[in-house]
Amino acid sequence: MEMIPHVAKARRRANPYLDLGSYDPEADLMVLNLGPQHPSTHGVFRLKLYLDGEIIVKVVPFVGYLHRGVEKLCEKLTMVQLIPIFDKNDYVSPMMNEQSLVMAFEALLGIEVPRRARYVRTLLAELQRIASHLLWLGAFAMDLGGALGGGSTLFMYCFRERELILDVFEDLTGCRFHYNTHMIGGNRHDVPAGWATKVHAAINAIETRLPEYETFLITNDIYIERTRGVGVVDGQLSMDLGITGPVLRAGGVDHDLRRDAPYHCYDEIEVRVATATAGDCEARAAVRMAEIRESIRLVRELIDNIPEGPLGARKPIKTPLAEKAAKGHAYAAVESPRGELGIYVIGGGDNKGASPYRLKIRSPSLHVLGCLPYILPGHSVSDAVAVLGSVDPIMGEVDR
Amino acid sequence: MAVDESYRTYSHPVYDFMMKVPGLDVMTTTVDKLLSFGSEASLWIFPVATSCCGIEFMALAASRVDADRMGAIVRGSPRHSDVMIVAGTITVKMAPRVKKLWDQMPEPKWAIAVGSCAISGDFYRNIYSVVPGIDTFIPVDVYVPGCPPNPEAMMHGLIRLQEKIRASANGRDVNREARPEAVHHQRLPRLPILGDPARTSELDRQQVASAASLGWWDELNLEQALDSVAKDLADESESEPKV
Repeated sequence: MEMIPHVAKARRRANPYLDLGSYDPEADLMVLNLGPQHPSTHGVFRLKLYLDGEIIVKVVPFVGYLHRGVEKLCEKLTMVQLIPIFDKNDYVSPMMNEQSLVMAFEALLGIEVPRRARYVRTLLAELQRIASHLLWLGAFAMDLGGALGGGSTLFMYCFRERELILDVFEDLTGCRFHYNTHMIGGNRHDVPAGWATKVHAAINAIETRLPEYETFLITNDIYIERTRGVGVVDGQLSMDLGITGPVLRAGGVDHDLRRDAPYHCYDEIEVRVATATAGDCEARAAVRMAEIRESIRLVRELIDNIPEGPLGARKPIKTPLAEKAAKGHAYAAVESPRGELGIYVIGGGDNKGASPYRLKIRSPSLHVLGCLPYILPGHSVSDAVAVLGSVDPIMGEVDR
Repeated sequence: MAVDESYRTYSHPVYDFMMKVPGLDVMTTTVDKLLSFGSEASLWIFPVATSCCGIEFMALAASRVDADRMGAIVRGSPRHSDVMIVAGTITVKMAPRVKKLWDQMPEPKWAIAVGSCAISGDFYRNIYSVVPGIDTFIPVDVYVPGCPPNPEAMMHGLIRLQEKIRASANGRDVNREARPEAVHHQRLPRLPILGDPARTSELDRQQVASAASLGWWDELNLEQALDSVAKDLADESESEPKV
């Protein structure tokens, strides 16, 4: 694809601290606010764009429109009360939030989780990853195609498949969305009889429809025109900014916590990490599509091999006693669909030590948003929407 | 035919002609019913989907629970829309923008509060940055409780709104729906809603001041607004001893 030389130069690595005073005054910059209420900002997120014609010159992102003070709330509530609240942070993959929080508390309290619970957690995580990526695919197609254009077709299809996974979750936990299925030391809901058949049916249905999506979108000429070479986040920039997840892997860095720092039962199964080298929107989409396939393979491998045994430690802890609450600190991280989701917790706070003294959430979406001032200059406004959709930020997780 | 027209504020040549012809007011009421049917059967939604409920709202618009079959289309602009669906937590930083969007919507307009965060703030209601319920700053017609409510529950909310529009067209009194009952161990949010007699003008002043402290609302000349509020407060305190 031919590119205008000065645009190509600007795209290579923009300067986010550009002093606009030195900009040519005859260029007549226009300031455009994208958000906080905009159909394609994936939540309440505001981008202040300085435009020269239609080309973006400078970008200033604003966050904080969904700041709910979760970390402050953590200092007031007990550990058990926090688990359902953490569902609401990254509301597209609530399972990962629960798991990271529960793993941090288990590390703090020194509780060993039985093998069966670890298998079930892995299974739930992989199912959740499929659902999350399906939602991303639908929303991304919507961003590219417009609300009433062709993009909404794929949106409808992706939601049809996502409902299959939500049905499976509803059978297990009773909730479509905010599950509260993890406990400190185990899982709350055991796998019901006949559940594996339903999971197989859902997974098979999704797998047969994936090629259809690729025909719709991934091999579409218009799609390639909109995404190839747009919003290149190379591996070095990702590592400088602390970006993890599909955005990092699309830039050619082979890093995945499931393989590199195994948790749950990922050390017993083989995870094939998908990577790409281009680092543009197309590469990020390709990595996510490969992750859906990989998750389907993992779910197939896991669902028939859930070991027998107890689902919780000695006795699942419902209210950790004050003397049991260790006054140490712990960090636990999981590979959420958006990257490394880490929880750092210092024990021994209020409620006689039953609540954390301090809890810090390391959310992948916040780090991903940091790349926008570097990569957006040189693109047009419509490309900004495509880039924002392709990095897949969840504002509940960014603002906490 | 003497009609008391002293209260009339609206004037249009066609309308004036119709009001003068005997019997044509029958037609105006019929047209009114037709318009009501139209607005009831084509509720265009403007979503303020901030958080988790926004994802369930997307499921409402998507394939399984198809809101389109009720004529409810999702639009991206407030100027095209009839219903504002507030789905998700509204923070202090976001609330002035929601109010601004609400003011941009043309009449007749309705609002639906979806999810416990939009209704009362839920467990975030005592957090410094969260507004305890959107009915503290915009009037809400229908509440859909849940965390998050199923798409089917949101669909039921839309049906309740349609019933309400139909009732108002038939001349029945439609009061504002009450906020769902709080569970007994929950504390009620601290801010009384708009129109509540317990709501003081001091609270209005505080909200304006907090909006002013955000620092981006300069063009609205907030100092003047604050002065006028202070003047109102002074007037009230003067008038109190007389009563």
